[in-house]
Amino acid sequence: MANMITTSGLCKRYGAAMGVKDLDLAVPEGVIYGFLGPNGAGKSTTMKMILGLAKPTCGTITVFDKQVNRKNRLAILKETGSLIESPSFYTHLTGKENLKIISTLKELPDNEIDRVLKLVRLEDQKNKKAGQYSLGMKQRLGLAGALLGNPRLLVLDEPTNGLDPAGIQEIRELICSLPHSFGITVMVSSHLLSEIDQMAGHIGVISGGELVFQDRLSVLHDRSESRIAIRTLDNKAARSVLNSQGIVCQEEGGCLLIPKLSDHLLAGYFLQFLKEDIGVVRIEERKKTLEDIFLELTGMAVKL
Amino acid sequence: MRAILLEFRKIRGRKIWVTIAALFGVQCLWGMWAFRDMSAKELSQGYIQCLYRFSVFNTIMMPMIAAITASRICDLEHKGQTFKLLLTAMPAGVLYDAKFICASLHMAAVGAAQAIFIIVMGKAAGFTEPFPLDHLFYYLITTTFVTVTILALQQVFSLLFSNQMVPLVIGITGSFAGLFSLFLPPGIQKGVLWSYYGVLTQVKMNWDSETKIVDLQYIPVDWSGYLLLAGAFAAIYLTGRWCFTRKER
Repeated sequence: MANMITTSGLCKRYGAAMGVKDLDLAVPEGVIYGFLGPNGAGKSTTMKMILGLAKPTCGTITVFDKQVNRKNRLAILKETGSLIESPSFYTHLTGKENLKIISTLKELPDNEIDRVLKLVRLEDQKNKKAGQYSLGMKQRLGLAGALLGNPRLLVLDEPTNGLDPAGIQEIRELICSLPHSFGITVMVSSHLLSEIDQMAGHIGVISGGELVFQDRLSVLHDRSESRIAIRTLDNKAARSVLNSQGIVCQEEGGCLLIPKLSDHLLAGYFLQFLKEDIGVVRIEERKKTLEDIFLELTGMAVKL
Repeated sequence: MRAILLEFRKIRGRKIWVTIAALFGVQCLWGMWAFRDMSAKELSQGYIQCLYRFSVFNTIMMPMIAAITASRICDLEHKGQTFKLLLTAMPAGVLYDAKFICASLHMAAVGAAQAIFIIVMGKAAGFTEPFPLDHLFYYLITTTFVTVTILALQQVFSLLFSNQMVPLVIGITGSFAGLFSLFLPPGIQKGVLWSYYGVLTQVKMNWDSETKIVDLQYIPVDWSGYLLLAGAFAAIYLTGRWCFTRKER
């Protein structure tokens, strides 16, 4: 699968601090790429660099197989839609007039405005001033602006920020429909794992400006395999019993952690413990949530 | 051209012209008050008096008009956080130029309105001085050029600062600095941008301390002043444009 966006050794320095450090992103074509990270991790800075709104300190950015530079930036961005931080609009103009400004800049026909208004379900509110829109409507207007011209790539920075649950669901459904309905590759950032979990197929996790994970979301899910925790009165003896059966276990918080086994096998080991006079006091199934993995990856677990 | 038309489309409904018209209206009212009940001698120097007094009055009014216009044209981008949207679709330099041209056209319109007002007032009051078409044209060019240079400075601050109090305070302070500098030697006047309405005026006031008579006369164009102003304009515009295009969003 070809990559829509590739960054190589991308860095951004603010004074003495590194906002983004040696970032090697790879956003495949036709997917929703979730760009996940805590607040201040460098998500917006990275997206701004991709869009040419911030200048990288070092590193390269390739979009549509072309390395972005000052000269070709706008030509490349012609096929890109974006929504960075909060939606941009003129409060004194109507929704339609706002979109007219963007469509004029992008040299698009007027019927394109009606198409995107319909897509974000704002056609009934198009003649209302954007300043009178609710937050959800403003966000949808921003999304409509990004969708003008049916771009190949959409870069969305926290598009559901500040929305109520119904608004979040609406925007999420719209984003999820974009790759298969219009063939748009979406790069969407969020600090909320659950949100990315519901939208993205691929994921990049950034923390402290560094990419700590990048792969299919399913790979991250695989890391959340269940394990069995056993607490006995003699963990040392229990461990040797398990090891003698070829079961690798590790001790954590007074419990022995073993891979998930079938009930039949597990029952057999307990009988063995009883025979060896090892008292079993607790058995539980432990499963790492995606949140645990995210916190581990971003190093936030310690801070919390 | 498209970018300039877009600027006009953006300010639609912002009623920028209302503020400009109100300040111009004040200037007109002052003119009508100042040129009421004129004697025969005053009527024989009607146009020259108009050109002199309007130049002095412009030192206060035009910088304010320039500051307010630049502020209102740039503030809508700050309020709407639209730079990060626009600059993915157009070069920053083009946006900067379009804003400047849009605001400059407003300034040129004010200069033209002033010239028309002087003509109308001359006819209404019955000025007996021959109509000085060349001097009026020079007045229009000078007023517009000085205002546009001040506008260039105001636009830099209006674009770089999201808090529009900064450029407005600079505009008001500048207009008063320009007015006070008119009482200072010409060498110092030329160091104050806002004083160029007076520096470049083609009318000179003669004060005879013995007879206590004030007389006005036309003087040649101060080309060195024009050159200095042109240099200041180029420096301000290019520096401002460079800062704006390099600024990260």
